[in-house]
Formats: sequence, structure tokens, C-alpha cells
Amino acid sequence: MAYSELIKNFDGIRDYMREFYLYGFKSRNEYTKKSARSYDDERRRVESWLKDYMGFRQTPEGKNIFISIDSRVSRHNPLYAAWKTKSFTDGDITLHFILFDILHDSDTALTLAELSDEIDEYLSEFGIPRMFDESTIRKKLKEYEAEGIIIREKRGKAIAYRRAEEILPVPSDVLDFFSETAACGVIGSFLLDKYDAEEGPFTFKHHYITSALDSEILCSLLTAIEEKRSLSLEVIQRRDDRISESQVVPLQIRSSVQGGRDYLMAYVPQLERISSIRVDNIISVKTGEACEQYEQHRGELEEMLPHLWGVSVLGTAGDSLEHVEFIVQYAEEETHIPKRLEREKRCGTVEMLDGNRCRFSADVYDSIEMLPWIRTFICRIISFECSNKAAERRFQDDLEQMYALYGLEGGEGE
Amino acid sequence: MIFSELYSAYYNAVALILKQACDHPLSKAELRRIVNEKAFDESLLKIEPALLEERWQLLRPDGTTTLGHIPTMPLTTLQKRWLKAILLDPRIRLFPDLNAEELWAQLDAEPLFRPESICRFDQYLDGDPYEDENYIRHFRTILDAIHHRTPLRIEARNKNGEIRTFDIMPETLEYSEKDDKFRLYGRGRRYQYINLARIVRCEAGGGEIAYEPEKENQLPQRTVELEVLNERNALERVLMHFAHFEKQAERLDQNRYRVQINYNAEDETEMLIRILAYGPLVKVTSPDSFADLIRDRLKRQMACEKG
Repeated sequence: MAYSELIKNFDGIRDYMREFYLYGFKSRNEYTKKSARSYDDERRRVESWLKDYMGFRQTPEGKNIFISIDSRVSRHNPLYAAWKTKSFTDGDITLHFILFDILHDSDTALTLAELSDEIDEYLSEFGIPRMFDESTIRKKLKEYEAEGIIIREKRGKAIAYRRAEEILPVPSDVLDFFSETAACGVIGSFLLDKYDAEEGPFTFKHHYITSALDSEILCSLLTAIEEKRSLSLEVIQRRDDRISESQVVPLQIRSSVQGGRDYLMAYVPQLERISSIRVDNIISVKTGEACEQYEQHRGELEEMLPHLWGVSVLGTAGDSLEHVEFIVQYAEEETHIPKRLEREKRCGTVEMLDGNRCRFSADVYDSIEMLPWIRTFICRIISFECSNKAAERRFQDDLEQMYALYGLEGGEGE
Repeated sequence: MIFSELYSAYYNAVALILKQACDHPLSKAELRRIVNEKAFDESLLKIEPALLEERWQLLRPDGTTTLGHIPTMPLTTLQKRWLKAILLDPRIRLFPDLNAEELWAQLDAEPLFRPESICRFDQYLDGDPYEDENYIRHFRTILDAIHHRTPLRIEARNKNGEIRTFDIMPETLEYSEKDDKFRLYGRGRRYQYINLARIVRCEAGGGEIAYEPEKENQLPQRTVELEVLNERNALERVLMHFAHFEKQAERLDQNRYRVQINYNAEDETEMLIRILAYGPLVKVTSPDSFADLIRDRLKRQMACEKG
């Protein structure tokens, strides 16, 4: 098939863009999931959509393509462009604009036959007028009815079609901000596309944009949460590309604003407990029935929250909670340290011991999950204790290895 | 469906072309300009011939259109559901010119999500007070001044709690999801940031702003080079964690990678502790001055352990 910069399915490009953006060190030969031709086409498409952000590096293995974006500089998420590339037929676009021109206000309502006649009239001006039979027009109207942009109503015995009501215009500042900060922000970007392209007043720091590629999946998950439905998910294990299917009851999205990952917290009937699933590992979502025990599962999650540091629920299978406690010291003028602990403590507790020491403690399902955060206090930690002795050992072993890595006395040596 | 041609760059470009053609015969140059602005690098190759060769029968040969009205499309249910969801966000009150109650009533759809459906579990707990009337007033004054390019006189507390006065030409409002805070960025005697939550007074006007480039102490962009040992999925975690910076990664051998990250020098301490979080899986290899900062913290930690 001839190359086109538009695409029919998003799934393939989702993987390529993730690879180019996150990794960017693979050469053409390493993209083995699909053919080399497929790689060339996808690379050319991404270059066309994101040319200002694409780069390449020549290595002995070949040319490595990467996407590099400083999200503090760019005021809108460039990855949204990929969602604006759906292919269509010549008939689709012609019919779209003529249909909404005929139904130019929400008072105009016409039957299928009337619409068909009017469409023919629009097309009669062209040398070889395109013909749309009634079944094609009916199909398009049905599609638009499902999207909510066409309303179908009875007119006597006949069915008439009109466009949906217009709503108040939404200030572009609102769309500028929430298209970057709200879940499924790409939808706000679609709305913003209708405005004159003026640079918005907002910039964003610590802004993770990768989840834009998971928008369709996230939208399905949020819809199911809202409708309290069960789902059937296909989830990929990135280590070995193994795909598994599981039935779940989706309860909440837990989003990391410091790590850039989104997780689905869901009750998994097969495991009889709540588990977390990375949203970017979900490759398909099939909506199921409304779940009768939804509120009960949601209540179970609420009970877990005071002991969830992040998303790991390793200890929920009946094991006891793990107690973590460490003491940091600071100079009298370093008041930002206790303040930092207070604002970053999540489900933990901070206790002032005296003018220059405070203790953090928490009871969590999985203490290993806390170690990266605890390491950010390196240079101040005067004691660290954990009821999970493996976590305690790992913390200490990691410190020893770091001493060695930087050639410090007492480490294991490089 | 998010992935739909209804939201596509091509439909948007053609809508704008037809809008202009409703007004006057469209020239080829104008058509090309619109496509280049609204669509992608190679879009012209498809859109121009499709319209001119009448495969998309919407434009007459003379550049006028058969349409009688400027093209518009009502909001889809998906768009309404998203808008309804953001109306539930407390930050919506910051925005002037939005009749939230009326808009809510017009949106005949259920919200796509509710605030409790999404938890930002590692967001700092001392976020800005979005429901404080003074805060809302300051936010709106600043937003208005950015749009109208008018100067502001601001009184704000510094980190020691002392009140300082600034005359500033506001440029942007910067939001950090991690901090859950807004900062005003603008030009006074030098370029500076002011935390919105620290502002006690904010008014349009103010004195003449005498920008003094010699007072500029804006810190430059810097680069740090890391060597990542890909154990415990460290590579993916590092690349994801630092994804919002400009960065480049390359493979050194089967299990080791070099990652270069560009960052603003004002964020050096933050970078330092973010790197420390990875423990022995990430080593700073360059510059030496940055590696020394890590070494210094480790030495102090050794001292803590020795008591």
C-alpha cells in the first residue's frame, strides 16, 4: 500500500513513539517486532508530525532516531499531534463538510431523503460529481449520532436529523491549562485546535508528557470507573513481550507526578485482591458488565490507602504491614529539611525530636518502594530501621556500593 | 473514540481553508500557508491536490467554496464529558470569564472522571490554596496582565517571611504538578520567578520597569552525564523519571547505558537528590563538579553512620 502520513490504527505508532521518546538508542535493525519497511514508514510519519523535536545519532550499528522535548519550554504537548492523524476516505471528508453546511444550525432538521437531495445539489457543480447513496449517508449519520454531534428525532412518521446544540464558548486559557494538566488532556487539545493559534500564558515544570500516548486506554479505564463496570484487559510484560489477559474491576488511577507513570488500581477476581497495573502496559481494554460489588471493592481500596506509599500492594495478601522509620539531622538554620519531610511524607508521620533532628515513620505494604525516596536524604540519615530486614539490608548494601562507586574509603572499592 | 478523523489536523486545516474560501476566493499561496500552519510537514502533498483535483469536492476551481456557511462542528460527547470533568477541578475557579454553572448545565453528558478517580500519590502536600479568594484575585490579575502585556506591582514574602515589592512585566505562569504550585515568571530589573502563594498584594500598574541586564543572574543550562546500570529496571525508570528534560541515551554495553540530561542550573540541588534516589544503579560520570557534589553527600552520610 502506498505510504501516507495518516494512519488507521494507533497501536503500532504508540510503541514506536514510546521507543523514540523514552529510549532513542535503538538502531533500525533492533526494531524487530515488525518489518524494516514498517519501521521506515513509522519513522517517516513521526518525522513529519514532530520534525522540530526529532534528532538522530550515527553509530556503528546505524542511525538511531530519537525524540527530544524539553517540556518546560514547549507550551503544548507535541505528542498530541499523533492523535490528530487518523486516516479517512475522500468521501468521508467531503460528506462531513457538506453535511454540517446543510445542517448549519440546530433548528434545521432534514430527513435522509431531503439530505440526500441537498448533498447531490452541492456536488452537481463539480465536473464529475461524486455520488453518495442513501445507505452511505445513513451510516455516516449513525456514526455522528454515536459521537453526539448529530441528533436523530421523529418528525411525524419520518426520522429527521439535526446538529447538536452549541454550548457556551470555553475560554482558551482554561483549555491551555487543563489540556496539559488534566487526564486525557488531548481532548482539551482538540478543543483548542478550533481557536486562533496564540501562544498560551502557561508553561509547565516537571511536566511528564509520555502518558499522552496512552490517552485512549486511559479514557476507557476512566469511563469504566465512572460507570462502575468490569473490564477485560490485555497487558504486556515488557521483559519478554508476553501478553496476558485478565478480568478486573477498575477502581482508581494512581498517577506519579515524579516518575511519569500512571497505574490502574483494580480488583482482580482471579487473585481475590486489589492489584496495580501500569497503564502503559495495557494494550487493549474491553468493557464488560456493571459490577454489583463495585462499592465494596472501592471501600477495600479506601481502607488500603493509609498504607500505600505508591502503588505496590505486595503485603496485602495477608502479611503484616512493614514498619519503616528513619531519623534525619540538620543544622538549626536548615529548616527546609523538616518542611521537606512534611510535604513529602504521604502516608507517613513526621515527629520533631529536638531542634535539629526529626523522625519519619510509616507502616506500609511494601517498604522497598520507599527506598528511592529515603535515599534523597543521604548525608543526613543517622538511623534507618525497617521491620522488613531485606529492605534494611538493601538500603545498607546500596550505600556501601555507592561509597565504592565514588571511590570513598569504607566502600568495597571500584 | 479519541482517535477519530473528526479531531484530525487535516479536518482542521480544511475547515480553515473553507472558512477563508467562504470570505474570498482562496489563492494557492493562502491554501499552502494554512496547511503548513495547521497540519504536518508532508500534508501539503495530499491536501492541495485532493482539493484542487476535486477528489474532495468542496472547493471550486476559482478558489471559492460550495459551502454557504463557515464550517463548524458541535462538541462531541467525549469533549463534553472531558469539559464536565475539568469543571469539577478546584483550579477551575481561578479562571475568569467562565460561567461554570451555566456551562455545567449545558453539557448534557456525565463527567469523564471525578477528582477522586485520579490520585497523584507523590504530589507535595503543601500545594497552592486554590480556593483562597486573595489567591484567586492575584491569579486573575496576573493572567490579565500577561494577556495585555501590562506591568504589575507585587508585594510578596521572601523565604524568610519578609515582604518585598517588585515591579514586573509578567510573561508566563509556570505550573508544577509535582509541587502543585504556580509561579509567575517575568522581567523586573532582572528576570525572576515569584511564587503565587507568597504574594500578599498584586496590582496592575506599578512604576517604570528598568530592566538592567547587568543585574541578570539567570543561571545557564547545564548538562549532567550519567552511567546507568540496567538492574531492577533502572534504565526505564531513569529515562521515564527524567523524561521531561531534553536528554539523549546511548548503549555502552549489554547492561550499561550513558544518559545525558540538560537541566537548568537553578535546579541543580533537585537534580542531585533525584540522582541519589537511584543509589548505585546510576553514577554521575561528568562533570566532575557534579560528581563531587554526590561524593560530598556520601562522605557526610558516612560521618552520620560513624556517629
